[in-house]
Amino acid sequence: MKKIKFLLIIFMIFIFSYLNFVYAINMESPLFKIQYGEIGIAGGNKSSANYNLSDTVGQTAAGQFNSSGYVVKAGFQYLHSIIPFRFSISNTNINFGTLVPNSPQTAITTLTVSFGGAGQYQVTAIEEGRLRTLDNLNSIPDTECDGGPNTCNESLAKPWTSNTAYGFGYNLSGNDIPSDFIDTNYFRPFPNREENEDPVVIMSSTNVGRNRQATMTFKVNISPIQPAGRYQTIINFVATPSF
Amino acid sequence: MKNHNLKLKIIKIFIFFLIFALLFLYPTKKILAQSVSLSLSPPLIEAVIKPNKSILIAYTIFNYGDPVILNAKILSFEPKNNLGQIKIKENFEGPIRFSLDNNNLKLNQSFFLKTNENQQLLLRIRVPEGAKEGDYYYTLIVESQPFTTQSDKSASFTKASIGANILITVTKTGKIEIKPKVVIFEVLPRFRLSVFGKKINLFDSTDPIPIVLIIENQGKNLIKPEGEIILKGNFGEKAKFALIPQNILSESQRLIQASPSAEIDCDNFSKSKACKRPISLLISGFFLGFYQLSTAVVFGENSPQVSANTSFFAFPIKIFIGLILILIISIFIIKKFNK
Repeated sequence: MKKIKFLLIIFMIFIFSYLNFVYAINMESPLFKIQYGEIGIAGGNKSSANYNLSDTVGQTAAGQFNSSGYVVKAGFQYLHSIIPFRFSISNTNINFGTLVPNSPQTAITTLTVSFGGAGQYQVTAIEEGRLRTLDNLNSIPDTECDGGPNTCNESLAKPWTSNTAYGFGYNLSGNDIPSDFIDTNYFRPFPNREENEDPVVIMSSTNVGRNRQATMTFKVNISPIQPAGRYQTIINFVATPSF
Repeated sequence: MKNHNLKLKIIKIFIFFLIFALLFLYPTKKILAQSVSLSLSPPLIEAVIKPNKSILIAYTIFNYGDPVILNAKILSFEPKNNLGQIKIKENFEGPIRFSLDNNNLKLNQSFFLKTNENQQLLLRIRVPEGAKEGDYYYTLIVESQPFTTQSDKSASFTKASIGANILITVTKTGKIEIKPKVVIFEVLPRFRLSVFGKKINLFDSTDPIPIVLIIENQGKNLIKPEGEIILKGNFGEKAKFALIPQNILSESQRLIQASPSAEIDCDNFSKSKACKRPISLLISGFFLGFYQLSTAVVFGENSPQVSANTSFFAFPIKIFIGLILILIISIFIIKKFNK
């Protein structure tokens, strides 16, 4: 009898552990609820003498179009969202202190996005120019990471651990970041507006989310022949919703 | 005694001045941390307008961070890929004219916003007479001015911008061009077998089924899909998943999402097909046998309907392999005991 009980317990443990494995994927997203505009809670028109906003989905309303000459829809009609689109940067002054050759300096900032629209949000980044002295005579190159097989570029992060690999770049960790930032040693250079490069997407998601956070670690390492001076640049972050 | 008191007084005054000097004259470190936190609404405007008409949209920019100097501007954008991402162009394009109706504010003019304050931006959108019919896509960008300090250290300053998209369709009659095409409707199977030239999508019974639906808009106006993805099993079971009506911009493609979709934890299941590329829908459950998937999509009343089909076969491969292993081990043990 004891043996049967023991076998039953083992069997139950096996079954429940198996079931747990099967149902690891949730059936529904806990993050959003889809609602159709035509059923919409906040349906109807909002108007004043100067404007007319429609909150409901519909056809290109022929009657309204013919009488007023326009039809306007505001927001993502298929999603009743209580999360406004919000973008935050925790620290806008990334101070590297005094740069010392072969001694990498790092500094961090946190990017936070709250987004209630289904579809997609994105945050892009671009540097307005290289890190350079105010007199424009000297600049620090964008990093190529460790070089050789570990050469990174604007769209591919690679390890940057060598103290003799010089330049300026960034690492990302946290939510909604590109998958090539495998760990904290993986870096990319910023695209450079002066070289007509396009901004790169550093955060994006198709899901609705509140306080999606990514930590950006800036890193700069200079060579012994880098002229002394105060090097500065501006990084431009742009957060936009989808359409 | 008097001399002693005098000495004490002098010492007290000396200590007082010393503390004063330490408190006020000691070189203090500058605290330069500056945060930016902005919110902009509404995030999206869709407008169908006749030429020679104008509309007014009230935007609100809210500052949740430190006091900041902001600047509002309009730039053109185009779709970057089929995921709904955008590429903002460096320059303004198109015939649409934008201005602010605010008394004290213009586009491309700086304004100051204190912490927890908001500013309404009354954006006037005007379509000039003679503007060519078609779609024009813009982003209202509100950007912060970088807080550059006269530090003697090397530094990187950041500029934060937040955008809201404006989709404008210019038409004289209100009619829009609807030219849709299903580009991809497929499942991402565990195995893809080829039998007599016919491809069979094979899943394990416990696998979630990732489905990809990409629709191309070949017309000159944006369209919004309405419809569903239907799953039919060989025992008559049926499940319907509604398509989310996301805009497909003119002459572009978009991956259309459906709901309710299962979610997968790609941190722990990174090898799953559903984590390797963006998908429209993930169906989870226990599947057995042959299944048919179909989709029918319309784009408003009296629009053409586009449809597509695919299928897959599900078999309990893992359980089957497990049973075979148990059988082999059992036979091995029985044979050993018999000997």
